[in-house]
Amino acid sequence: MSGVAAARAAPSAPVLEARGLEVVRGGRTLAAADDLALLAGRVHVLLGANGAGKSTLLKALNGLEASSGELLFEGGAVATAAARLALRRRTAAVFQRAYLLNTSVRGNVESGLRLRRVPRAAARERAAAALELLGIAHLSDRKPTRLSGGEAQRVSIARALAVDPAVLFLDEPLASLDPPTSRALTADLLRIFGESAMAVVWVTHDRDEALVVGDTVSFLEAGRIVQSGAALDVFSHPVSTSFAGFLGLDTYLQGVVVSQADGPTLLDLGDGVVLACGEARDGPAVACLPPEDVVLFSTPPAKHSASLRNLLPGKVKAARPAGRLLHVTIEAGRLEVAALVTRAAYDDLGLAIGSTAYAAFKAAAVHPIPRHDRRPL
Amino acid sequence: MQVLWDGFVEALRLLFGGDAEIYQITLRSLWVSGLALLVAVAAGVPLGGLVAMREFRGRRLTVAAINTGMAAPPVVVGLLVALFLTRNGPLGEFRLLYTTWAMVIAQVVIALPVVIGLSLAALQQLEPGLRQQITALGAGRLQGFVLQLREIRVALLATVMAAFGAVISEVGAVMMVGGNIRGQTQVLTGAIVQETRIGRFAVAIALAIILMLLAFGANLTLTLIQQQGRRRP
Repeated sequence: MSGVAAARAAPSAPVLEARGLEVVRGGRTLAAADDLALLAGRVHVLLGANGAGKSTLLKALNGLEASSGELLFEGGAVATAAARLALRRRTAAVFQRAYLLNTSVRGNVESGLRLRRVPRAAARERAAAALELLGIAHLSDRKPTRLSGGEAQRVSIARALAVDPAVLFLDEPLASLDPPTSRALTADLLRIFGESAMAVVWVTHDRDEALVVGDTVSFLEAGRIVQSGAALDVFSHPVSTSFAGFLGLDTYLQGVVVSQADGPTLLDLGDGVVLACGEARDGPAVACLPPEDVVLFSTPPAKHSASLRNLLPGKVKAARPAGRLLHVTIEAGRLEVAALVTRAAYDDLGLAIGSTAYAAFKAAAVHPIPRHDRRPL
Repeated sequence: MQVLWDGFVEALRLLFGGDAEIYQITLRSLWVSGLALLVAVAAGVPLGGLVAMREFRGRRLTVAAINTGMAAPPVVVGLLVALFLTRNGPLGEFRLLYTTWAMVIAQVVIALPVVIGLSLAALQQLEPGLRQQITALGAGRLQGFVLQLREIRVALLATVMAAFGAVISEVGAVMMVGGNIRGQTQVLTGAIVQETRIGRFAVAIALAIILMLLAFGANLTLTLIQQQGRRRP
């Protein structure tokens, strides 16, 4: 595809841009984006709780919902109904439910192409390729009522990909699927994204999903984007207490999982920092470390606590109340590790901001989530 | 009992003996009701779509009016159409009263609310999410409407059959605006009324058999297609 090369050559030109975009109904702002740019070949996650306005924002971005403010597709303003239709014809959307038409799987996958007046033979060929890409070519002649939930969602995604969209919108695409089905589909989607130059907007309420698929993340609250940025940055440094609450207080670590024949699985964080971690597939991963699993010491602990395989020396960077406990951040070189301790323990250990501290935790406390390697852009 | 039996035998003789008048009446019936159905479907389905998909002031009232229209007695429709078409009426200058055109108009008025009401109901039963997905697929307004009609195709066929059943078997309106004139505006239902009245039971029975076959044929087609839809969803 020539699109890939073009996208790599000019990664900075956004495919879709929203400036001061706002969806207002009955005097209430349902969704807004002050400054949002979608780049080719990147996955942008809209994250937030139910009712945060993620889906409404997605609909405004792909022209399903009229909005005020500026929406620019490939530099051109999308302001009229005709422009919104033109935008929808260059993009594609997949929703939580597959919403297949009452025709064969093949007919469904061809439908977007037929609406774009692609000749029948060409449409058939492109549909076949899309079905192949999703591994469901054998279902071509099936009727939608005879598909499983996972199969139906694959058909919906194949239908979207068949039109070769400049932007793919996914609105909670995994929310109706059971965990194994969802994991398999995620892996396939990440592979497909890796080979394509399309920009992807992925709406989810699931923080782990956001972390696995997102290059960049916007966190939404009450219709507004509260924080935007590279996925791991956003997760590691939530700017609002409500976002921190949504994420939980976990520490997020990025590295590569390496399993060993004898001994625990390792997570290599780079710069010589290697942690023992829970079982995981080898390869790039993001790991979360719940703060309640981290134990603090003011001096290196004695060897008797052998199950605390991981020990990171550092300094106390911050300590703030979290309910009846203290949420303490330890700066260990490049890393920041959070721990939850009682006030009494904090005082007994003689800890204070800037004092030396050792963060210890079990291998099992580090949960790696496999993550596809992002190609450099 | 003997009257019934003799009538039935004579009716069969008329049917298979190629009685010209009976065929003429049947063809006139099919022409009037068929044309009325065509007009009602061509106008009613898009109108049903408009009411189903647009939000406008007085929408509830409109839907209520359509539902009332579905149950309008044909004699009342006949009266209204006659009032419009009578020589001193608003459309009197066209001299349509007591022609088959008047009968077509009356049957359109009877069939239209049925077509609008049933297609509206079927369209409203489509999930809003599906409608949104169709729009997101890149469908323009018309393309989206056609795709939605394809989704409700079985219900649409039922609509057509229901409307056909309503007009082919209706007697009040066609007699009032057509005049039941033998050889000119007489259709199956009106002819059955007249033949019965003058005691020509055999002809009435023959015409009744044809009317029943037409109604049965329409329903059979409908049932077959609905069952096919069930077996291969």
